Amino acid sequence: MSHMRRSAFVSCVALAAIGLSLCAQELTLPLKPDSVRFAVIGDMGTGEKPQYEVAEQMIVARQKFPFEFVVALGDNLYGGSAPSDYESKFEQPYKLLLDAGVNFYAVLGNHDSPNERFYKPFNMNGQKYYTYKKGNVRFFALDSNYMNPQQLSWLETELQNSGSDWKICYFHHPLYSSGAFHGSSIELRHMLEPLFVKYGVQVVLAGHDHVYERVKPQKGIYYFTEGASGSLRKGNLRKKDLTEAGYDQDRSFMLVEIAGDELYFQTISRKGLTIDSGVIRRVVKISGAASWPALRSGHGDLPDRTAVNAIAF
Amino acid sequence: MKRRIRVTCLLIGFFLFAFVAPGFTGQSRAPRDKEEARDFKIFTDRVQEYVKMQKDMEASLPTLKPTKDVEQIVEHQRALAGKIADARRAARQGDIFTHEVAERFRKIIRSEFHGAEGRLARQTIRQDDPSKVIARLHVNDVFPEGIPLTTTPPTLLLKLPELPLELAYRFVGRDLTLIDIQARLIVDLIPNVIP
Repeated sequence: MSHMRRSAFVSCVALAAIGLSLCAQELTLPLKPDSVRFAVIGDMGTGEKPQYEVAEQMIVARQKFPFEFVVALGDNLYGGSAPSDYESKFEQPYKLLLDAGVNFYAVLGNHDSPNERFYKPFNMNGQKYYTYKKGNVRFFALDSNYMNPQQLSWLETELQNSGSDWKICYFHHPLYSSGAFHGSSIELRHMLEPLFVKYGVQVVLAGHDHVYERVKPQKGIYYFTEGASGSLRKGNLRKKDLTEAGYDQDRSFMLVEIAGDELYFQTISRKGLTIDSGVIRRVVKISGAASWPALRSGHGDLPDRTAVNAIAF
Repeated sequence: MKRRIRVTCLLIGFFLFAFVAPGFTGQSRAPRDKEEARDFKIFTDRVQEYVKMQKDMEASLPTLKPTKDVEQIVEHQRALAGKIADARRAARQGDIFTHEVAERFRKIIRSEFHGAEGRLARQTIRQDDPSKVIARLHVNDVFPEGIPLTTTPPTLLLKLPELPLELAYRFVGRDLTLIDIQARLIVDLIPNVIP
C-alpha cells in the first residue's frame, strides 16, 4: 500500500513539474513523418533528485517530441543492484515513460552488475552486447568493460552484414573525451575505431565522463559523450581542440531524430535549456562501401557553449 | 577429376573445422612455443572443468530468463554463488592458475605493462580500481555489491587465453582475478601480477 501511495505521489509531482516545464523547453527537432526518434541518457542511476529532474524534462520533451525509445549508456544503477536500487534508480524516475511503453536499450557501465543484462526493461536479453534495428538505423550496443576478441569478432561480423543506412554504436567508455576525470579510452579506441571507419559507422555515443560533449568529427565519425543524466562533475570539461560543443554546468540528456539521410540532435539541460543542437547529414560515397556524415549548425540557449560547423563534401 | 578435387577440398574443410577451429577458439592468439601451448592447455582444461561444474550447478536452479522480477535475478546469483562455493569448498588459490600457468601469465602481463602500450594499460585499469575501497579478495569470495569493476585492457585480452562467456579476467589492485560473472564469484587469482 505504501509503495502504491509513493508511486502515486511521485507521479503527481512529476505531472505538476511537467505542467510547469512545458513552456520552458523549446524543441527544434523537425518531427518528420516516419522518422526514428529516441532519447539518450548516461550515468544516470544515482536515485537522487537531479536524476528525477532530468527524467521529468524527458517526459516534458516527449509531449512535443514523442520519442519511441531510450538509449542508456551505462552506469544505470550506482551503488548496488538490489531490488530497491532498480526501483529508486530506474523504475521510479522513468515510471511515466515506462508506463507509456517507451523501451530502454541499455549497456553496462563499470558501476553496473553484469546481471543487469537479465533485467527485462533494459532489453539486453541476457546478452552483454547486442544489436537491433529501428527503421533505417542499426544500433550496436557494446560492453566496453570487457572488449575481448569474441566481442570484436562479433562486432565485425554484425557491421559487415548490416545493410542499414545509419550505423550507431554505443557503449560506456568514450573513445574521445575532454573530461578531466577519465578522458579518452585510448586502448579501446585502438581496437574499435578501425572497425568503425572500415564499416562506415557514422555516430558513436558514450558516457563515463559526467559531462556532455560533442567531439569534432574524428575520421568522419561523430562522437558524443552524454554522461551527465544523473551524475555530474561540474566544471570537469577541459575544452581543447577535440571539443566541438560541451556542457558541464548541469545534468543533461539528448534527443535524436533520424529521417532519411539526416540525423537531428538536441541536448537539453535539467532546467530545460537547449545546450547543443544540430544536424548530421549522411553523404553516400559512390562506391557504396561506406557513408560519411557531414554536420551543419549547432545552436542553443547557451551560445558560448555551442559551435557552428559546416563541413563541405 | 574435378569431382575428386571438390571432395578433397570438402574433406580438408571438414577436418579444419572439426579439429583446428575448436582449439583455436579457446585462445586469443597462437601460443609462442610448445611450453606456452602446454601451459595454456592446462589452463583452458581447468577452465572448462570449472564451466562444466558451474553449468551443472546452474541446471539445478530454476532457469533464469530475462525478467522484470529483480528478486529472481538477485536470488539466482546468490543461489548459484552458494552452490558453487559449496562444491568448491576445498578450492585453493592456484587450482586453475597453477604455478606454471601463473608464471606464464606474469610474463605476458609484465611485458604488457612495460611495453609501449604499458602506460595506456595502466591508465585503463586505474580508473575506478576497486582495491581503493575493498580488501584483497580470495577464492570463493563474492565480488562485493556496488563496487565498480575495473576495465580489463583490451590489448591484454588479445594476449591471454580466451575465456568462455561465463568467466572474465578482472584486475583488483595488482591482482589478476578470474571471476564468474554470473555468480560474481572469485574462481582463482594471481596476486601482485602487475609490476
